[in-house]
Amino acid sequence: MIRRFVGGLAAALALACAAPASAQEAPVKIGYAIARTGPFAAGAQVSQEPNYLLWAEQVNAKGGLLVNGKRRPVELIGYDDRSDTETVVRTYEKLMNQDKVDLILPPWGTGQTFAVATLANRLGYPLIAPTATSRKLTDMKLPYVFTILQQPDQMMNALADMLVAKGVKTVAVLHIDDLFGLENVDALSKALAAHQIRVIEKKSYPLGVKDLSAVLKAVKEKNPDAFLGITYPPDTILVSKQSREIGFNPKVFYAAVGTAFPLYKQQLAGASEGVMGMGSWNVKTTAAAGEYFSAHVAKFQKEPDRWASAHAYASLQVLEQAVERVGLDRGRIRQAIAEGEFQTILGPMRFKDGMSTGVPGTVSQWQGGEFEVVWPKARATAAAIFPKPAW
Amino acid sequence: MTFTLFLDLLAAGLITGGIYAIVAIGLNLQYGLMRVMNIAHGEFLMLGAFATYVMHTTFALDPLMTLPLSMAALFVIGLAVHRLVLHRLVHSSPDSDVFEGRSLIASFGLMFVVQNLALAIWGADLRGYPYLADPVEAAGVILPGNRLLVFAVVVVLSGVLMAVLRYSLVGKAIRAMMQAPLGAQLVGIDTRRLHPWCFAAGIALAGAAGALLSMVYEISPSMGQPYTITALIVITLGGYGSIFGSLVAGLLLGLVETFGTHFTSPSLKMVLSYAAFIGVLMFRPQGLFSR
Repeated sequence: MIRRFVGGLAAALALACAAPASAQEAPVKIGYAIARTGPFAAGAQVSQEPNYLLWAEQVNAKGGLLVNGKRRPVELIGYDDRSDTETVVRTYEKLMNQDKVDLILPPWGTGQTFAVATLANRLGYPLIAPTATSRKLTDMKLPYVFTILQQPDQMMNALADMLVAKGVKTVAVLHIDDLFGLENVDALSKALAAHQIRVIEKKSYPLGVKDLSAVLKAVKEKNPDAFLGITYPPDTILVSKQSREIGFNPKVFYAAVGTAFPLYKQQLAGASEGVMGMGSWNVKTTAAAGEYFSAHVAKFQKEPDRWASAHAYASLQVLEQAVERVGLDRGRIRQAIAEGEFQTILGPMRFKDGMSTGVPGTVSQWQGGEFEVVWPKARATAAAIFPKPAW
Repeated sequence: MTFTLFLDLLAAGLITGGIYAIVAIGLNLQYGLMRVMNIAHGEFLMLGAFATYVMHTTFALDPLMTLPLSMAALFVIGLAVHRLVLHRLVHSSPDSDVFEGRSLIASFGLMFVVQNLALAIWGADLRGYPYLADPVEAAGVILPGNRLLVFAVVVVLSGVLMAVLRYSLVGKAIRAMMQAPLGAQLVGIDTRRLHPWCFAAGIALAGAAGALLSMVYEISPSMGQPYTITALIVITLGGYGSIFGSLVAGLLLGLVETFGTHFTSPSLKMVLSYAAFIGVLMFRPQGLFSR
C-alpha cells in the first residue's frame, strides 16, 4: 500500500506540474476493482493491474485520452477486491451507480468477471475482459461484454492440432477441478477424440495442492507420448519441478496457466527448455509488442507474462481507440467495439459475438529463455522443438 | 502394490507430513502451552519465507545457513508483538478463557496488518528461487534434495525442542508456568520474562517453517493463511501442548493424504484428511497425545 501510495503521490505531483496545459479539462474517470490481496492477487498483479497503470501513465504522458477532439487526463479509481466476489459486485455497483465513473475496467479472472458481467451489461458499461476464459460466459451473449483472451476450445483445438501434426498417439491429462479445468478438459477431450488420440490417464487435483509426485509417478509408468496439465500458476511450477525430479520425460510437456510467467523459467533454473504452455505472444509478435515489453520492464522492473498481459494491454488500446472514434457515450462505445477494427500490440483486433477474433488459439514453448509461439504456423515466432529435450 | 511404490508413497507422505508438523509445532507452543490463539501464525511463517528469500536473492546466502538468522529475526519480532499486543491482554484478562478469546481477536487484526505490510513491501507477485532441486535416488526411490533437507531439519528441530521442554530447567519452568501460573511465581519462576520468550519461540518456529517452505514452494504475502488452518488441525489432532503429538499428527496426516490420494484422486485430499481428523477425535476428543 505504501509503495502504491507513494507512486500515486508522485503521479499526482507530476500531474499537478503538468496541469496548466489541460487544467480546464475534467479527467475521464475509469473505475475498477481488482485483487491486490488474497489468492487471486498473484495472477492479477502479474497479468492485469500493472497494464492498467502503465496504460494510464502512457495516455496521460500524451496529454490524455482523446475525447471528441480534446485530450482529457485519465483518472484511474482502483479498489482492492480482496479476491472476494461479493466485494467485486459491491464495488462495481458503487462505481457505476454512485460514483458514476465514465468507464470501467474488468476485475481479474473468469469467476470475478462472471460476477460483474451481467451487472455491467444491465447498466450499459462496456467491459473487455482480458483474463476470462469460459464459454459459459461468452454463451450468455451479453451485448456489453467482450472477451479478448482466447477461449478454452480455441486453445485446446490448437493444442490438439499441434499434437496431430507431431504424430502424438497417447496423452495423459492432469487438471485442476474447477470451472477452468473442467471446461478446458472438456474441450480437449472433444478435440482429441476427433483426431483419434487416446487419453490413457486422466486425473484431477484441487486448488492449493502441495504434492503431486505420486500421481506423476503413476503417469510416468504408463509412458504417454504427451503430458497435458490444465494447471494454475503455483501448480504449473509444482508439476514441472516434480516431473523433473522423477525423470518423467514425455515428448510433449504442456502446462497451462503460468508457464508464460517469467517466474517459470527462473524457478526451473535452466530446465524450462522445450516446455509448452498457454502463451500467445512475445517481443517478435509485432513491433508494438516489443515497445510494450520494454515499457513494462522500465516501469515495473519485471517482464510481462507472455499470455494475458498483452491481452490486458490490448483491451485498453481497443477502449482508447473506441473512445477516440465515438466519445464517451457508452452505448456508442459498445457499438464501436462490436463493429470496428483496432490496432493493438497483438495485431489487428476485431470482435465477433463478443469474442475477439484477432488472435487464434496458440501454443507456446520455452526456447533459450524466450516463450516462443510455436503453433499455429501463421502466429509462430519459432519452430517447435519436438520431442522435448530431457529435463 | 510393489515395494518400491510403497517406499515412494511412504517417503512422500513423511515429507509432506514433516512440513505440516513444523508449521503446527510453532502454533502449539503458543496455543497449546500458552493459550494464545494466534490466527496470524501463518503470517509470521510468510515473513520467515520472505526473510529467507530476500537474503538468498540479495546477498546470495544459502537458505539453510540463514535459517538461524530468520529464526532470530522472527524471535525479536515475536518479543515486540508480545510487548505491544499480548502484554496488555495478559494483564487485563480475568482468566485464561477470556485471554484466549481476546488473543484471537487481536491476532486476527495482526494478520491483516502483517499481510498488508508484506504486500506494501514486496507486492502480491508469486516469488521463488530454485534450491537443491536435483533429485536424490536411494533403493529405487527418487526424492528431491530440498524436500529431504526440509524433512531432516524438521526432525532435528522438533527433537531439540522436545528435549529442551522435557529435560532443561527452562523447559520445566515453562511447563510449570502453564500448569499453575501462580504456583510457578511462588517458587521463583520469572513468568513475566518467560511468557514473552515462549511466545517468541513459537513465532521463531513459524519463521523456520516459512524459511523451509521457501526452499520448496513459491511464496507470496497471502501464502500463510492456509497453513494456519493446517496447523490448527494438526495440534488439535496431536493434543494441545504436546510437541511429540504435533509431530506424529503431522506425519499421520501426510501419510493419509499421500496414500489416500494415490488410491482415489488428489481431488479428495481434503475429504481424506478431514475424515482422519474426525475419526481420531471421535475416539480421542482430547487429541492423540494430550497431557
